[in-house]
Order: sequence, then structure tokens, then C-alpha cells
Amino acid sequence: MFPIVAHEELAPNVHRMTVKASVVAEKAQPGQFVILITDEKGERIPFTISGWDAARGTVDFVYIEVGKTTRQLGALRPGDELAHFVGPLGKPAEVDHYGHVVAVASGYGAAAILPVLRALKEKENRITTILQAPDRERAFCAEELEQASDRLILALGSPGEEMTVSATRPLRKILANHPQNPVHRMVVMGSLCLMRVISEMTRPYSIKTMVHLTPLMVDGTGMCGACRCSIQGKNRFACVHGPEFDGHEVDGWDVLMARRCTYADESILQQSFQCRGCSQW
Amino acid sequence: MSETKETGPSEETGKKKVKMNLNRLEMPKQEPEVRRRNFDEVATGYTYEMTMEEASRCIQCKKRNCQQGCPVNIDIPDFIKHLQDGNIEAASKVLKAKTSLPGICGRVCPQELQCENSCTLNKKGAPVAIGRLERFIADWERTSGAVSKPELAPSTGKCVAVVGTGPSGLTVASDLAIRGHQVTMYEALHVAGGVLMYGIPEFRLPKEIVQREVQYVSSLGVDIHLDTVIGINYSLDELLNTKYQAVYLATGAGLPQFLRVPGENLNMVYSANEFLTRTNLMKAYLYPEYATPVKMGRKVAVIGGGNVAMDSARCAVRLGAQEVYVIYRRTRQEMPARLEEVENAEEEGIHFHFLCNPTGFISDGRNNVSAMELVRMKLGEPDASGRRRPVPIEGSEYTMDVDTAIISLGTSPNPLIASTTPDLETSRWGTVITDERGKTSKARVWAGGDIVSGGATVISAMGEGRRAASAMHEFLSQ
Ligand SMILES: Cc1cc2nc3c(=O)[nH]c(=O)nc-3n(C[C@H](O)[C@H](O)[C@H](O)COP(=O)(O)OP(=O)(O)OC[C@H]3O[C@@H](n4cnc5c(N)ncnc54)[C@H](O)[C@@H]3O)c2cc1C
Ligand SMILES: Cc1cc2nc3c(=O)[nH]c(=O)nc-3n(C[C@H](O)[C@H](O)[C@H](O)COP(=O)(O)OP(=O)(O)OC[C@H]3O[C@@H](n4cnc5c(N)ncnc54)[C@H](O)[C@@H]3O)c2cc1C
Ligand code: SF4
Ligand code: SF4
Ligand code: FES
Repeated sequence: MFPIVAHEELAPNVHRMTVKASVVAEKAQPGQFVILITDEKGERIPFTISGWDAARGTVDFVYIEVGKTTRQLGALRPGDELAHFVGPLGKPAEVDHYGHVVAVASGYGAAAILPVLRALKEKENRITTILQAPDRERAFCAEELEQASDRLILALGSPGEEMTVSATRPLRKILANHPQNPVHRMVVMGSLCLMRVISEMTRPYSIKTMVHLTPLMVDGTGMCGACRCSIQGKNRFACVHGPEFDGHEVDGWDVLMARRCTYADESILQQSFQCRGCSQW
Repeated sequence: MSETKETGPSEETGKKKVKMNLNRLEMPKQEPEVRRRNFDEVATGYTYEMTMEEASRCIQCKKRNCQQGCPVNIDIPDFIKHLQDGNIEAASKVLKAKTSLPGICGRVCPQELQCENSCTLNKKGAPVAIGRLERFIADWERTSGAVSKPELAPSTGKCVAVVGTGPSGLTVASDLAIRGHQVTMYEALHVAGGVLMYGIPEFRLPKEIVQREVQYVSSLGVDIHLDTVIGINYSLDELLNTKYQAVYLATGAGLPQFLRVPGENLNMVYSANEFLTRTNLMKAYLYPEYATPVKMGRKVAVIGGGNVAMDSARCAVRLGAQEVYVIYRRTRQEMPARLEEVENAEEEGIHFHFLCNPTGFISDGRNNVSAMELVRMKLGEPDASGRRRPVPIEGSEYTMDVDTAIISLGTSPNPLIASTTPDLETSRWGTVITDERGKTSKARVWAGGDIVSGGATVISAMGEGRRAASAMHEFLSQ
């Protein structure tokens, strides 16, 4: 069993959970994820690691309440236990000295991208971060992002069509100054729609754009094939070959988004989940 | 129909004249119409009386043909003798001397190719139902609560790590624990048992039985660490450099293969591993009591001809599919699935399409699969495996409407450990290379089961485990 050592609400329906799991904390790297099960009847659910403390043996992640399991998590308190917690899964994010890195985050990505940014900072990159959120209240982790970056841009937009793309406005300005004020690399962590839109924006500039894909997963160890994505015409398993991929090499975004929504139904709490191009609505 | 044959004096049975009873007793099964709607065990097992009757058919051959047909060399005539004497406990001890998983072998072994195939009575067409007898003994022991435990040798102080908790790993763990070594098992999933838990469905192998066998192994003093992925949480070298004198790799063949045809990633095209894992390990058939769902359409195509395909098709029926088709590129004769399971599938209303192969999947316009393109096949020259190679017939393309497809082509070993252990020699199929006793190219590391054979049977995985365990014991005793 894996005890919860801290649990805080960051914004409405958004929580950070800290779990005691020394085996995971010992090996965690930026961009990796865990899979947890709340109880013996629970589902295996993946979450990106947003921080860890190897000395204390704790791992934390930030989640949004969207359905059954995340709602269940919301009701747990410090001292409660998770039945299972396995990780760190997936490959770590690629981190090196690139120069100027532009990061875009939305949703839980605001927290999950932090370890990646900190590692990039350690490699002496200059970081511009665009945080997309519906409003200031829900722009959680803004302070931490500001500390981890050289510059933070808030891109606020109302839920729905406008918000899906609100990060594109500041990005368009930045790209307009490229290559005079060059962007050497992009990292995007957010909804599949946002990652897709940003990848298409940077493609004409040939700026390498890393995205963190979130297909449905079951085992998370390369056994089930549920998380397969087409990358340059080849099947790749997001849980072992990813979840970070070069956004320009991802083909079949439509299929990926449709597969991600196989089990999307009335039970989903998150509004504006109903995205364009999704086959399930 | 009753048949008894008088045999003359025979080598097997000495001088005495023996009556051969060729009435092999059928095992009671749930009616197809009933079992199509539930996940309860299909075959309900012999009663005590049936067991005694079937056991009495064994003529106690001196030559022990049956025993030679069993990959773990169970003393079959001896345990049947005990049954004939009505001593089930003694029969159980004989079984346990060679297998720690009799309740599982009795259910899923391909007996028709192994022990029963070699039984003397098989020449007359009705071998003793050895597997069913084994199953009865294991179930009897389980329900009577009188689980017999072998004596453990005094502790040797040596530590062994076993990676993977499928049948091969469980066998090595119990064999080495009995010999006094301290065994720790590591399992990536949240439940021990390997394919027995995530692949083979409840209606063929109840999960409670697998868990009992796992508990039995841990009752021998074996530590089982779940949720631990070797290659991630600890590398193989870390295991060897910390506490363990030897390591056994039994991580199976868990990497699903795909057809590599257009449209294979469309929504509602499953790999058998995903489909079976959701259904069996995560118990999606009990959704929403269990939180994991599995979406099932009306018209389902299962691609492949092995046990995995049969299990997928039969799960699909039980999850409410209206029509289920098994698509296999050779003919019924070449199907690798167990005959018994093919017959069960047919009884449950599953249709078989032979000599055809999918060449693509078509979208309904919203990225869900709506049809499958196929080409008809014919059998050509024999290939390396001796089976005639299927070749496409030009111009025979056709389409078939389906709203769900399950790709059940087989699996290969997961590269996770090999890719993090450069000095572990593997074949070009990704299987780990070993000598005949399971020793790998890497010092102090043995391997067996599907990671070596690339997808075989429960009992061969156990047999390899048994051989490796004795080699490991020799090494540890030096
Ligand atoms: C690699 C990876 C990292 C992730 N990191 C985070 C994170 O840090 N924070 C966060 O809030 N969310 C993260 N997610 C998404 C998170 O797993 C889903 O929000 C969660 O599974 C929803 O579960 P539920 O039972 O509450 O909702 P449900 O009612 O089951 O489903 C709601 C929707 O969530 C998605 N979903 C459900 N199950 C899975 C699954 N097993 N795998 C992937 N998506 C699923 C589907 O789109 C589904 O339609 C990540 C997903 C992946 C694959
Ligand atoms: C659907 C299906 C039906 C079958 N039906 C039959 C049948 O009727 N009769 C029969 O004899 N055989 C059958 N088989 C084959 C049989 O199940 C296998 O041959 C057998 O289970 C192999 O045993 P194993 O111990 O080698 O590996 P597995 O049973 O595959 O177990 C391997 C275990 O290792 C774990 N693991 C993998 N990687 C790691 C890692 N890096 N770290 C930690 N743990 C890890 C896995 O999670 C798994 O639990 C069937 C197989 C399938 C898939
Ligand atoms: S273990 Fe399998 S092959 Fe051996 S006797 Fe039992 S059923 Fe037959
Ligand atoms: S099981 Fe068959 S081969 Fe074995 S002793 Fe009995 S009759 Fe002979
Ligand atoms: S989640 Fe099963 S293979 Fe990736």
C-alpha cells in the first residue's frame, strides 16, 4: 500500500497529491509518469510526475477531476492509502543545452512540465513559458512556472473554442520574431488538441517541438498495445517509447484523439472536453 | 456405448490379463446457450464418483508411457494408483512432488499432445483423462483445506531473485524455496500470475485458483514484490550487485504483434493483449463494479488461430457481441489452438473463416473501424516450420463489415530488460538465448518460459523453470 502524505487543492477540481513510494522516487526523471490504482476494483490510471523527493521517498502529481477515478482521488485524505503505484514509467524527457526554449503548458501540464523546465534550466537554456488557462483562478502553478522560467506569459481564454487556442496568440508573436530572436526548441504539455495545433504552428519554422502524448493506457509497460501511436508511419508505444515525441513526426492525430476518447461519455465532468475532430461525439 | 477389450499378456502390464475399459468419461460442461452469457467456468469438473470411475480405467503400465509425455515428468501411474485406492491426499503429494500448480495444469495443459497422447490406452483411442484427474485432486485439496506442504530444507543463506510471476517464475521460486534458498519475486503488474491472470479467461481458469497457487508459493517463504518493473526500478545488474547470488528471468512474451496494415490503429481495433487484460485482469466484465471498461461492438472479427484468438472470441461473445468471426489465414488443420477450445468456441456460436487474411481496416469517417478488407489465401509450399505457407490469391480481395477487431497474432518478448542489459544475449526475435538448462550468456543469470521460447505453453514454461532451478541450485551449492 502507498500512503498519501499530502493533498492540496490548487484550483477548483485540481489537486496535488504526494504519495510515499520510495522505489519510484529513487529513479524518477523529468517527463516520466506513474500508474496508480486506488483500490482492488480500481482502474490503472496514468499521471505525470510533477515532483519527487528521493530522500523522503515521496512522489507528487497534479490531477484534474474528470471522471470516476480522479473524483475518487479527490475524496482521499493524507493518511489514506493507494492500493498500487508503479513507476517511473516511460522515457524521460530529452534535456540538453539548446539555447532559447519555448514551453507551452495547459491543464495538468502546468505542473507536470515543471521538472522538465527545471532540468532545462540546469542545462542553461533560456526559457519562455506560455501558460494557457481559462482564467487567473485556474492558472495554477503560475508562480512555480515563473520561477522555473526566464519569462512567463499568461494566455487566458474562456473555455471552449477560444481557450483551446489561446496560447497560440503569444506564440504567434514569438514566432514572428524568429529567427532574429530565435526559438531553438519547443516543449508542449497539455491537451492533445493544443499539442497538435502548436506542432502545426512550428512546423513551417522547423523548430523541434516535443509533445507529451496521452493515449489510453492499461499496463504502461509495453504489454497491451493500447497506447500505440503512429510516429513517422511506425507504431510506437507511448508508455515505453514515449510519452515524449517529436510533434512533427506524429501522424494520425485524428486517430490518436479518437482513440483517447473511446471511453469518453456522459460521465465526464470536465466541461469543454468535447473537442473538435473527436469521433465520439 | 460401452466397450471393453480383453488384451493379451502385454509388456506394459506383465503377465496378467487386463480388461481395457475404453469409456473415457466426459467432463460435465455448462450448456453453450447458458455459458455464452457468463464468465463462470465452462467445464465444471469430475465429481468424486466420476474421478474414481475414470481412475479405475488406468491399467498401471510398467513402461509409464504417460509419464514420459509429461514435460515435468509427473509420476502419473503412482498418483492414479492412490486415486484407485481412494487416497486423494497421497495422490496430491505425488502431484506436488513435480508441480506446484496442478489445478492449473489440469485445466490448461494441451494434454492431447502430451501425457494423454502417450497413454497406452490412446492407441485404442480413449486415453485416461489424466488432466481431469489432476484437476479433481487440486480442487479437492483446495476445498478440503488440507493443503499439503513439502518439507523445506534448512536455510542456505543464499538469495535469489525471480523476475516475473508467471508459471515459469512460480516454479523456480517454489523449487528453490524448498531447497532452502531465500527467494524474492518481482512483478511489474499489480497481481501475480502472469498470463494465467491477464490472458487466460476466468471461464477457462478461475482466477481464484491461480491466486491460491500464488499463495501456496508465498507460503513457502517466497517474497513477492508487485508493482516493480525490472529494467526500470532495478536493472538486472543492480539485482546481481546488491543482494542476489543468482537471478531467474521469466518475463514472458508480452509484446503484442500487429498486422502492419493500413487502418490498424483505428478506434475499436484492439490487440488481444489489451482486450484480454481489460476483460480478465481488470475484470471489465464486471463493470461498473470494477472500474475498468471494455467497449464491445456487435460484429467482431478476431484475427488469428491460436489459443489467444479462441479466448478473445469467446470473451467477445460473453461481453455481448452479436456475431463473432475468427479469421485465420490457413485451414482448420493448421490452427495452433487446442482442439477442445476450438470445439467449445464452435458450440458457443463463433464462426470460422479460413484461408483469408486482412489487408486493411476502413474507417466509418469518424475514425472508428467499420469494415475490414481481406484477401483469400491458398496453401503453398511448406515453410521452415513444416506448415504449408499461405499465399494470397490475386484478385480475390473482398470486404467484410465489422465494428470491432481483435488482433490475436501472438507475442514476442518485451525488450525492456534486454535493452537495459547489453551483455544479455538475445536472438533476432528478441528471445533470450540459453543452454538446455536455462543458463544465459550473462554470469549468474538463468531464464526460461516464454522469454526463451517466444510463446509456448504453461507446462513447458514450468518444465524449463524446473530444469533451471536444479541448475541454479547446483550453482548455489558450490
Ligand atoms: C502518460 C499520461 C500522463 C498523464 N498525466 C496526467 C496528469 O499528470 N494529470 C492528469 O490530471 N491527468 C493525466 N493524464 C490523464 C489521466 O490519466 C486521465 O485524466 C485519467 O485517466 C482520468 O481517469 P478517470 O477515471 O477520472 O476518468 P474516466 O471517466 O475514466 O475518463 C475520462 C477521460 O480520461 C481519459 N482516460 C481515462 N482512462 C485513461 C487511461 N487509462 N489512460 C489515459 N487516459 C485515460 C480518457 O480520455 C477518458 O475519456 C495522463 C495520461 C497519460 C496517458
Ligand atoms: C490468451 C492466452 C491463452 C493461452 N492459453 C494457453 C493454454 O490453454 N494452455 C497452455 O499451456 N498455454 C496457454 N498459453 C500460453 C501460456 O500462458 C504461456 O506460455 C505461459 O504463461 C508462459 O509463462 P511464463 O512464466 O514464461 O510468462 P508469463 O505467464 O507471460 O509471465 C511473465 C510475467 O512477468 C512479468 N514481467 C514482464 N516483464 C517484467 C519486468 N520487466 N519486471 C517484472 N515483471 C515483468 C509479466 O507482467 C508477467 O506477469 C496462453 C497464452 C495466452 C496469452
Ligand atoms: S502437467 Fe500437464 S502434461 Fe503433465 S500430467 Fe499434468 S496435464 Fe499432463
Ligand atoms: S495413464 Fe495410461 S499410460 Fe499411464 S499408466 Fe495409466 S493406462 Fe498406462
Ligand atoms: S499502455 Fe499497454 S502498451 Fe502502453
